[in-house]
Amino acid sequence: MSTPPSTETPAQALARQIMERLVAKRLISADEATKLQPKLAEGKLSAEDWRLAVELVREQEATP
Amino acid sequence: MSNTALKRLVVAHLRGSVESFELPFEKGRNLTVIYGENGTGKSTICDALELLSKGKISSLDNRGLGKTNKYWPTLSKTSTDISVVLETASGSCRATFVKNDVVVHPAEARPRVEVLRRGQILGLVEALPSERYTTISRFIDVSGVEKSETALRKLISDLNNNREIAVARILENIGAIEQFWAADGTPGTSAIVWAKAEVAREIQADDPELAALQALQQAYTRLSSYPARLAESAQVLQRARAAAEDAQQAATSYLQSVAQDAGEVMAVLQAARDYLGKHAGPSVCPLCESTAAVQGLAQRIEQRLQAFATLSTIQGRQRSAAEAQQQAEQKARLLAEEAQQDALAFNAIRGGFAWSPELVLPSLPAPDAVARLELWLTATAELPDMWRQAATARQDRRQFLTTLRGAVQTFEENVQGQDELSALLPNLQHALEIVEETRKTFTDTLLRAIASDVGRMYEAVHPGEGLNQIKLALDAGRRASLEIGTTFGGKADLPPQAYFSQSHLDTLGLCVFLALAALDEPSTTILVLDDVLASVDEPHVDRLIRMLYDEAARFRHCIITTHYGPWRHKLRWGWLRNDQCQFVELSRWSRTAGISVIRSVPEVERLRALLAESPPDPQLVCAKAGVILEAALDFLTQLYECSVPRRAEPRYTLGELLPAVKGKLRKTLKVEVQNGNDAAGAPSYATVQLEPILNELDRIAQTRNVVGCHFNAISFDLLDSDALVFGHCVLALIEALADPAAGWPRNSKSGMYWANAGETRRLHPLRQPS
Repeated sequence: MSTPPSTETPAQALARQIMERLVAKRLISADEATKLQPKLAEGKLSAEDWRLAVELVREQEATP
Repeated sequence: MSNTALKRLVVAHLRGSVESFELPFEKGRNLTVIYGENGTGKSTICDALELLSKGKISSLDNRGLGKTNKYWPTLSKTSTDISVVLETASGSCRATFVKNDVVVHPAEARPRVEVLRRGQILGLVEALPSERYTTISRFIDVSGVEKSETALRKLISDLNNNREIAVARILENIGAIEQFWAADGTPGTSAIVWAKAEVAREIQADDPELAALQALQQAYTRLSSYPARLAESAQVLQRARAAAEDAQQAATSYLQSVAQDAGEVMAVLQAARDYLGKHAGPSVCPLCESTAAVQGLAQRIEQRLQAFATLSTIQGRQRSAAEAQQQAEQKARLLAEEAQQDALAFNAIRGGFAWSPELVLPSLPAPDAVARLELWLTATAELPDMWRQAATARQDRRQFLTTLRGAVQTFEENVQGQDELSALLPNLQHALEIVEETRKTFTDTLLRAIASDVGRMYEAVHPGEGLNQIKLALDAGRRASLEIGTTFGGKADLPPQAYFSQSHLDTLGLCVFLALAALDEPSTTILVLDDVLASVDEPHVDRLIRMLYDEAARFRHCIITTHYGPWRHKLRWGWLRNDQCQFVELSRWSRTAGISVIRSVPEVERLRALLAESPPDPQLVCAKAGVILEAALDFLTQLYECSVPRRAEPRYTLGELLPAVKGKLRKTLKVEVQNGNDAAGAPSYATVQLEPILNELDRIAQTRNVVGCHFNAISFDLLDSDALVFGHCVLALIEALADPAAGWPRNSKSGMYWANAGETRRLHPLRQPS
């Protein structure tokens, strides 16, 4: 088999779908999703990253 | 990646290409079938494309050769002699060796090539699930997302543990606070309410009274020391007075026993000694100014003073005793004053603070007079213990409040932590559910699409066998493991390796490979199938070839090498549609010429060429036309189930086949031949009745045997023109029946006629008239 195409890898495509759903469910902000999507695909999204991203949305929603 | 058409492949000094070998690609045909017997160089062509795309050759792998690079050049050549050039509509791309590295120039024109060789065909099906996963992983590998998902799952697990710990600690905190509450007599409605009210109080509120209490105790302690100290001082004074009196009496008694002026004389002598100590060696006596008595004066004075030593000692004691008495009197006076000041200080503390009502204080201030102090101390002797207890109680209270405050603070922190986790965890859990569900859906969708594609192709080759329910699934229990399953005998999810024949497994492996190759930009991919039909059994080959025709259309180009002989013949006879197919036949390889191509000319083309010769050869025309006529009549008699003599070996002569097409069938046989499109773009047809052609063939059919098959003197009497008419009739018949590009009309799906691919020929009737 040849090298993968220059287009999206399966992991990147999946990461994009996941982030779209998390943003739609207001679990992660759109800005955070943009930042975290590459890390999600590469397996570099740590527990702390997850926690901060989810907490950030809660804080933003709590702020009037 | 380019998707432009291929024009030419030129291979030099790579494996079997002893000389530069050129494979031209026909315009408009994206399927190239390369036929050649074993050892004709088919795999070298595949190797060349693989080298160009991937910089390696895998056909020699797994043959126990180790590193195979040294076998890539043709014998007596080196790797630097190797050259592979692929010319396309958009330019060319060349692979050469620099030292031991393959260099492709221009690199951006390097084609994408997928090669499947016969030896690999079962790899996907028979491999271990983990190896199968490795092969397919680049299409479904989401391990990065899985790793991030694991981090989220662990976070949730850790936070759940933290929350459980927080809950346990809260219970512990409540227990501790309830103990405090109980110790305080369970005031208020609940321990927590009470505790919060308590810790809201100022812990230092009792501190001033505690400090005052401690100062009061210290002041009282000092006062308590005075009776003993005063008594001792009085005794000391009494002893000093007695000693002074004794010294006085001793001096008086001594003086009475010596001259009355002894005391004054000794004083004069002591004064003279002091004078001479300061003025040593005087010239005259300082008292009488006599020069005669000055000699030895100091010695004489010292001698006389020694005579007064006892008197001196007695007087010294008298002075010391007097001084000691004075000191004792002074100390007694100072002690009395000190006691008086401390009494004042005690009274200042006693009266200078707003004491708690429960505290007991002396009813009277401490007395100024030393004489009344002892009495006062006796009257208040029990108070210091009460003050100590009061101070201890206040210190204990302070410690209690400090501990309680810590307990309440810990309780509130744990409650807050638990509240935060309780709010955060559902969102994290929801996020995890979304990640899991999306991942599973993503991979399931991908695998279903691949499996569906595999099943579709498999059904095309094995229609109606019910073996197309192919399932690909990731093993949930194991990492990177891909299971393959099928339905067999009504049971689902069975491993095909256990139930399929070798031929069926070969087909399945090929379908899996094609499905995977089609996932990755097939329109830019050159698909190379190297001798993959080897083990497919005869009944399935035609359908497999048709399936390959259909699948080839998805790719930029498809090259199939084969040594399957019938394919060559079917293409030459036009039995297979070859409108998209270029057929290339390789001749036997030689050490001098290497790989070479034979032009494979279809039989009809050969007949047309023979008829076009000037002058045509009647014998050759009759021989070729006779074979073609037999093929056409074989086709018609089978299609319409015509009666022919039955025998064990189905070898029929022209004399048996031609009369079999008779009666109503012969009268109704006609072919609609597409001759273009009408104004609306719909295909237009010209109708060719076959009866006149067949009737004419009846008349001159004997020329085939007489002229075309045997040496026969009868042929001397026949006209050459009859032989050529026979050839032209056969050509007319075969041109009506078969399209060189789209094949023979074998498809009855219309329900009205037999049609070939694309319906360029429509043969009527559908059934033999009764």
